Amino acid sequence: MELFLLSIVNGLIQGGFFALFAVGLVLIFGVMGVVNFAHGELVMVGAFTIWLLHAQYGLGYIPAIMVAIILVTIIGLLMERFLFRPTRSDPLAGLICSIGVLFILQVAATLVGGDGPSKQVPPPFEGTLVLFEFLRIPYQRVFSLLISVTALGTLWFFLTRSKFGWALRAVAQDREAASLQGINSNRISIIAIGVGAALAGLAGGLVAPLTNINPHMGHNVIITAFIVTIVGGVGSLLGAVLAAVLYAMLHTFMTVYFGGTIATICGLILMVVVLIVKPSGIMGVRVSE
Amino acid sequence: MAILEIKNVTKQFGGLTALNDVSFQVEEGEIRGLIGPNGAGKSTMFKNIAGFYTPTSGNIVYRGENIEGKPPHTISEMGIVRTFQETTLFQEMTVFENALVGSHIKGRTDIFSAVLGLDQKKQEAASEKVMEVLDFMGLSDRKDQYASELPLGSQRALALSIALVSEPKIMLMDEPFAGMNPEETNHMMDLTRKVQESGITLVLVEHDMKAVMGLCHHLTVLNFGVVLAQGTPEDIRNNEKVIEAYLGGA
Amino acid sequence: MNKKNILTVQNVVWAAILLAALLATPHFLKFYHQDLLIYLTINVLVVCSYRLVTLTGEWSLIHAVMMGVGAYTASLLFIHFGLDMWFTLPFAGGAAALIAALLCFPLLRMTQFYFLIGSFAAGEAIRLTWIEFVGVFGGTGGLRGVEAPILWGIDFIDPIPYYYLSLFIVSVCLFILYRIENSRVGLTLHAIHWKAPLAESVGVNAWRYRALAFIVGSFFVGLAGGLKVHYLGSVSPNQMGIGFMVFILIWVIVGGYNKFYGPIIGVIVLTVFDESIRTFEVLRPAIYGAVLILSVLFLPLGLESIPGRLRSWFGVGSTPHEPPLTDQ
Repeated sequence: MELFLLSIVNGLIQGGFFALFAVGLVLIFGVMGVVNFAHGELVMVGAFTIWLLHAQYGLGYIPAIMVAIILVTIIGLLMERFLFRPTRSDPLAGLICSIGVLFILQVAATLVGGDGPSKQVPPPFEGTLVLFEFLRIPYQRVFSLLISVTALGTLWFFLTRSKFGWALRAVAQDREAASLQGINSNRISIIAIGVGAALAGLAGGLVAPLTNINPHMGHNVIITAFIVTIVGGVGSLLGAVLAAVLYAMLHTFMTVYFGGTIATICGLILMVVVLIVKPSGIMGVRVSE
Repeated sequence: MAILEIKNVTKQFGGLTALNDVSFQVEEGEIRGLIGPNGAGKSTMFKNIAGFYTPTSGNIVYRGENIEGKPPHTISEMGIVRTFQETTLFQEMTVFENALVGSHIKGRTDIFSAVLGLDQKKQEAASEKVMEVLDFMGLSDRKDQYASELPLGSQRALALSIALVSEPKIMLMDEPFAGMNPEETNHMMDLTRKVQESGITLVLVEHDMKAVMGLCHHLTVLNFGVVLAQGTPEDIRNNEKVIEAYLGGA
Repeated sequence: MNKKNILTVQNVVWAAILLAALLATPHFLKFYHQDLLIYLTINVLVVCSYRLVTLTGEWSLIHAVMMGVGAYTASLLFIHFGLDMWFTLPFAGGAAALIAALLCFPLLRMTQFYFLIGSFAAGEAIRLTWIEFVGVFGGTGGLRGVEAPILWGIDFIDPIPYYYLSLFIVSVCLFILYRIENSRVGLTLHAIHWKAPLAESVGVNAWRYRALAFIVGSFFVGLAGGLKVHYLGSVSPNQMGIGFMVFILIWVIVGGYNKFYGPIIGVIVLTVFDESIRTFEVLRPAIYGAVLILSVLFLPLGLESIPGRLRSWFGVGSTPHEPPLTDQ
């Protein structure tokens, strides 16, 4: 029972983290129609920044997160301007370019961090929150959950209440129709990838003290993001968030009882099943025939 | 004798009814026109016949056999072949290769025969058929050009050729005259008549009234997904309901 | 489909020169480079079989894993039953084809982006299976101890005989792949790529042809996997993962996927290029990534299109035909 409750809480925390980068992937795909294969590497760059600035050079954790977000956002904006915009007519070309970026970022991380073993960042928040005497949650994880929820809530507010959010959704639905209504789709693309990359940077910052940091950590991130995106419904942000939490719970449970690899295999099978049975995902609407 | 019978076909998309209880019969060897204002359900009707859609209810009977819901490739194999709106061709292939794809049913082969060259006779026969059709349609001079390099009239003729090579019994032509100038239209009408005279039943969806009235033996008028009137071009021209709903508004 | 007489004197002479060059090459190379030549020969088969899969316009991300299926099959047959390469190769191809045939049912219901992601997921699931079931597949370390055959006193563990052997096998496979592409089957695959509904309207069962391309392509890459493991001696899950898949993509795209020989040019040029930047060590993937990006942006039709471009640059011949990567 204790293990069960703990798994739920851990699943929630993990889900918040999954949602952060999956939502970014969905935003970029929805608005620009391109699958950003380098999205996991954006998270990795965020985590590396924390390791370098916080763990190595002693910059405060929060300022380090800020720098990570800014750095990753800049990388995202460069990708939009120089790769995704010129290849807009051809979504596959954009995807291939993002694979190129993936390699470059991995090498950059290797150069910065050296070829040695995985890095670790000591948790900046020490101590453990104890609930009902048996639920012990490190403050670091509590912090991670609070920040994810806040970020997602802000994004939700931004998308539903602001003019930009409205324009963003209009472009995601129909780029041509949106431009007829005077929406500058280039500006919307920049905002989409900016927000998506910033969330990835934040996710990297949050996960840094909780995981092993190495140049290849993006691989698992992108697999998770694909599963969450497909299960949630391509183009549905709410679906991505729900799927992130559900998948995180499933993954946490499966990992506890069967091990991590089996958990991921199940996730992949789940994803293929969703692709077959309901390609629009649990929350998605089928865009085209 | 009716070669194709549409019996009470209804097609709904979500809450929208695109076709409502549509029935008509196509006689063997005739040219049948399917006309009506935009959104009347003509193209939807075509897609139901050709297997791209499945009717929500009702039957489509071809030579006494129900064909509704069969996949497109099966229906074309049975002898009902459609052409597409605008110019749908394999732009990246030559005229000859385009038409050769049309001979798929007769010329298809398994991978082992293809590798070992056991299907040579079959492929030669297919090539002959293709050249025969290209001659018939006046395209044999252009057989090595890319489809994308042809003028509009020839592109449409090529689209017809692809369908013809497959030796259909019924050809469904989706707006074959759209976007053509009078000269091209006349040429296309001649080609269409030649096709009909070779024994193929034609059903065409068309907006060009001059072409429709000049070519078709019978017309079926659709409006908002229901059959408004049927009859010879003469009947339709004098039908009050049609004039009100369609011709009058034009 | 066009009939040209390929047995002209000129062609025969060129073929003889090419053959002589291919046979002579290993004798001018050091041991290490002879190894590389064998892998290059096998990779030519990998990219050409991938091209068959992409002919219908669908880009899969499972091809590398299919090569792994072949390699694991050959290894298991060798380790447990002592089967020589002559017998393991058909099984290696057959196993990959079988898995591909099973995967057709879920995967080929999808197209474009969904197919891409779906094939990636299916491939990862297979790869993780190799990692998880340590007893059968050896886990992360994979399987080792696979040996090359010995025949008529020739030990194929030596690079030169093995190179000749793989050159022969790969040539036969390429000939078959070439015949398929230039037959009616190839024409139909092209037709499905450019306008699937039009092809279906004249009786083409698009699903069956997509399945055929996927299965046959997987067969040949499975065979390539078997051919590789009998020389390398071992196979591991990471060797056949998304990393290698990306290399296949790079070779095909940089070489150009519109012509049969485009991917071959790609894999040869980039392998030589890769060797020439060996001194950069850790930088190599980044250089590869940069090449990939630059070629997508500035040479979307690949190296293969350069002669045509030069010709049109100087005003001779027509501009190259430029179809997009994906049909809209």
